Amino acid sequence: MTTPEVHALTGPYVLNALPEDERLGFEAHLADCRSCSAEVAELREAANKLGTAVAADPPPALKARVLAEIATTRQLPPLLKHDEPQKPRKALSRRSFFGLAAAGLAVAGAGGIAIDQYRDNSRTKKQNEELAALLAEPDAQTVRGNVTGGGQAAVVMSASQDKAIVLLNNLPKLPDGKTYQLWLMDKSRTMHSAGLAGGQATGDQSKLIQGGVADKIAFGLTIENNPGATTPTLPPAALISMA
Amino acid sequence: MSEESTALPWPVMADVAAGTPAELMARVARGDAVAFGQVYDLMAPRVYGLIRRVLRNPAQSEEVTQEVMVEVWRTATRYDADRGSLASWILTMAHRRAIDRVRSEQSTTDREQAVAAASATTEYDEVSEAVTTNLEVQQVRHCLSALTELQRESVTLAYYGGYSYREVAELLDAKLATIKARMRDGLIRLRDCLGVTGR
Repeated sequence: MTTPEVHALTGPYVLNALPEDERLGFEAHLADCRSCSAEVAELREAANKLGTAVAADPPPALKARVLAEIATTRQLPPLLKHDEPQKPRKALSRRSFFGLAAAGLAVAGAGGIAIDQYRDNSRTKKQNEELAALLAEPDAQTVRGNVTGGGQAAVVMSASQDKAIVLLNNLPKLPDGKTYQLWLMDKSRTMHSAGLAGGQATGDQSKLIQGGVADKIAFGLTIENNPGATTPTLPPAALISMA
Repeated sequence: MSEESTALPWPVMADVAAGTPAELMARVARGDAVAFGQVYDLMAPRVYGLIRRVLRNPAQSEEVTQEVMVEVWRTATRYDADRGSLASWILTMAHRRAIDRVRSEQSTTDREQAVAAASATTEYDEVSEAVTTNLEVQQVRHCLSALTELQRESVTLAYYGGYSYREVAELLDAKLATIKARMRDGLIRLRDCLGVTGR
């Protein structure tokens, strides 16, 4: 996509008129484009005036319901501003951190990295840091594939660290009782369970796999009736070569 | 500022200042339910009005409004006043939730309702005067009317109608690149006319 074309996407992006794949692509671009983020912020204020213009009083009973619900809802902890330069450590600068996160997005085509305060507030900084650290490994590589039934999976891995992070994006919600399960396949084509992913969450998820990664040749995703199955239900929803 | 408020003694002025949206949110982030109640009063009509404009169904609109307001509470610690106004943060969340609902229920009826919701001449019949001054609404109306017809329809079909740019292009029988560009230059013209900044 040429640059002017990408810039033209600020309009549809702010209006939430981009299909999911184009939105993800644009957000990856946004992380590295200062003028785009400034324009997005301004156009967003303008678009939201359209919202203000149609304000209507909600039924009074709604307030009581909301207040009752917040009384039983825990708030997210604040994000820690950890970049204070007391001791110069070899940590990633804010700039390179976002750059790496964006690279993760761009190569993975999946993610939900907190580029944007308006989306994915629930994603923890820890997950981002793990991803950034893994991407910073010299031997880091990323593979990805589509999931049968919808969505994408991407695996960022480092053999030297024997570690992988699986990014699941936009997977369809599963019926009650079913769950997504992650697998790693070894050279003898035996599948080893690598944990579960929530079947109810429809948004972006990431799973860290520590150990047992270096010698594997493929990543698999299955839909299981019994959480924690020891043999995968076939065919898998995704099977992605890690070679 | 009205004459009455300029006449207030300093301590009261300080209280008023403590009630700015950003300050309220700082208190909400620390778990202050009373401050949240004030944010609710300030924002719920805009959230509900927008969601109702997109979804049309009152019961669904209430449900999504509740989700959004609880999300405001839950994620209050992540709000950064340096990156945009509170209204914009919350309305962005509200619009996304409404659009998600539209896209996840693409039944015929819903689409028909969305068409009705988006009908080219936007009506402002449900405007709540309790929260928005007539002036603000008039300004938006005036600025919308200053757009070209294609700009206005591209922007309102997407924002109020919940259509993707491809669907808008289909409805307006225009090229995809044209619609993307009209959405952008329409919003730019709206921004300039309204004099808003992204901070």
